[in-house]
Amino acid sequence: MSVLINKETKILVQGITGNMGKTHTGLMLKYGTKIVAGVTPGKGGQEVHGVKVYDTVQEAKEKTGATVSCIFVPGFYALDAAYEAFDAGMELVVIITEGIPPHDEVKIIRRANELKTNVIGPNCPGIITPGECLIGIHPGIIYKPGKVGMISRSGTLTYEVALTLSNAGIGQSTCIGIGGDPVIGLGFKECLRLFNDDPKTEAIVLMGEIGGTAEEEAAELIKKEIKKPVIAYIAGRTAPPGKRMGHAGAIISGGKGTADSKVKAFKDANVEVADIPSQVVALVQDAIKQPIKV
Amino acid sequence: MKLFEFEAKTIMGSIGIPVPKGQIIKVAEEVFNLKLQYPVVIKCQVQSGGRGKAGGVKFADNLDETYEIAKKLLGLEINGIKTSSLLIEPKTDIEKELYVAITLDRGRKSHILLGSSEGGVEIESSDSVKIIPVQTEYKPYLGRKLAKSMGLSESKLNMVSEIINKLYSLYENYDLDLAEINPLVFTKDGKILALDGKMTVNDDAIDRQPFFQGWEINHLTDVSERELKAKIAGLNLVELKGKIGIICNGAGLTMATMDLVKKYGGEPANFLDVGGGADEGRVKRALKLVADNPNVKIILVNILGGITACDEVAKALKTFAVENVDKKVVVRLLGNNQEKAAEIMKGTGIKSIDNLDMAVKEAVALGGKV
Repeated sequence: MSVLINKETKILVQGITGNMGKTHTGLMLKYGTKIVAGVTPGKGGQEVHGVKVYDTVQEAKEKTGATVSCIFVPGFYALDAAYEAFDAGMELVVIITEGIPPHDEVKIIRRANELKTNVIGPNCPGIITPGECLIGIHPGIIYKPGKVGMISRSGTLTYEVALTLSNAGIGQSTCIGIGGDPVIGLGFKECLRLFNDDPKTEAIVLMGEIGGTAEEEAAELIKKEIKKPVIAYIAGRTAPPGKRMGHAGAIISGGKGTADSKVKAFKDANVEVADIPSQVVALVQDAIKQPIKV
Repeated sequence: MKLFEFEAKTIMGSIGIPVPKGQIIKVAEEVFNLKLQYPVVIKCQVQSGGRGKAGGVKFADNLDETYEIAKKLLGLEINGIKTSSLLIEPKTDIEKELYVAITLDRGRKSHILLGSSEGGVEIESSDSVKIIPVQTEYKPYLGRKLAKSMGLSESKLNMVSEIINKLYSLYENYDLDLAEINPLVFTKDGKILALDGKMTVNDDAIDRQPFFQGWEINHLTDVSERELKAKIAGLNLVELKGKIGIICNGAGLTMATMDLVKKYGGEPANFLDVGGGADEGRVKRALKLVADNPNVKIILVNILGGITACDEVAKALKTFAVENVDKKVVVRLLGNNQEKAAEIMKGTGIKSIDNLDMAVKEAVALGGKV
């Protein structure tokens, strides 16, 4: 078991003939991911790393049985690509693209909610079930199969923590990069529920950052519903207010979205908060020794 | 990109939102060419809040007073930003001040309309603000709903909802993060007027907004010279007060590295995210920007290569070390192509430490201590 994806998952890549699409299709195939099709309008019939390219998502799905799409198309084309994936009946759409205008993101997420399609991202590293399936741009080599579920707003920070966990012999069930933009699909709350219901996951690591209130809402949910131990880390304690820190969503505005507020929310919910990324390991080790709350 | 008040009002005026007829000046002597009725209001044009409190808005009854005030206000610093132009408008006789705005609500994942019948300077901290979410598409009834919730009735309800319709069309068509009128006023002679206007164009959408092409460079008044250069080079740089320059890949890891510096007794001099897949040239430009900051005593480079190839980073570091013998650098370089990178780094004299905590401690010890 794992969350959302496993070794049987069939994936198509939208934007497979672009630089990013081509490079990462190669890396995903090497990891063992079942990429069954690519889509680039007007390039149907070509091949990328031996994967057949189709003109439309509909055709790619009919010919291959793909159920998940991974989108690499440039920012201004992502809305159209996502709509195409939704209308073709994809069950999960992973949007790697960075720089999608928020007005488009609102439309993408609204449409996904109407159709009850799961979206991961945008502006995210994707999702990985170590040893089985990698969708997106995670460096697969860092991860090990195991029992810790990871949810994160940041790509490289996830790699950092996953690396220290793996080095300490602690593997991961599934790692989801939910994305660093203000409007995203699956958030902390949805992912916490997925891991809570996943028999293979014993502890959950949640990596947040400044901006918005998703961490505070996650803390509320943990208090009410989540039975498994959660370990949190928040980046941006030294970030100045009013400045966008790289991610479009990482900004303290009007006094809201500070690291202090998020740390406090987690502590109030009895969630262990790591002061520094490397401390996550010890907190996870402590947590998985304890029996799960009933 | 935050627009200046006079730009926002010109755009609002162009689609029929009533605005005062003002003039913009950059030199005090331009007041002698004013074609306005006195009294007038003189407003500093800065991309910063808190203008009124900082003394950036003044009234004048005649030409002499206007001239004296204009001389004082031009060059006035408001929250660190220098005033380089003034908007002068006829003073309005106000009966009532309102507030209306449209923005994105992250939690709701939808756009929201905001309104209050208590317009003015302290609106952000007021609980009188009503919110109407735009759950699907915008329709004019939502504007009426907002106006109603603000306690308006009769002709005033229609006048305000008409303004909201127009403001929403700007918000949508120009990819705005924020469209705001504060205050929106009813004048004593029964008219409605947008006395102040704010518009922020989304940075990721500017390239598809032909109207704003080429505007960005003139709207970066609240950044340092190096932050401006970084922006043009496509790098995310935010300068801070400390001595340890930081270069990382990925926003979250960069913030975490800053936090670690602080934790181990140093102060970060900046946030600099080179982004995913940075090549040698990009890393070189990043190194130069950070090294150019005179406060920086040591540069800490932390790269965890997923898309980023470590050998590209190493090449940039090697050149930098040769050209800047006097600069101290501590490097943590792991991931994609790390063996190739280690080979390149040999003989550069740069300290390379795989463990992040150790690398940060080393940087603090080597000159970054507060």
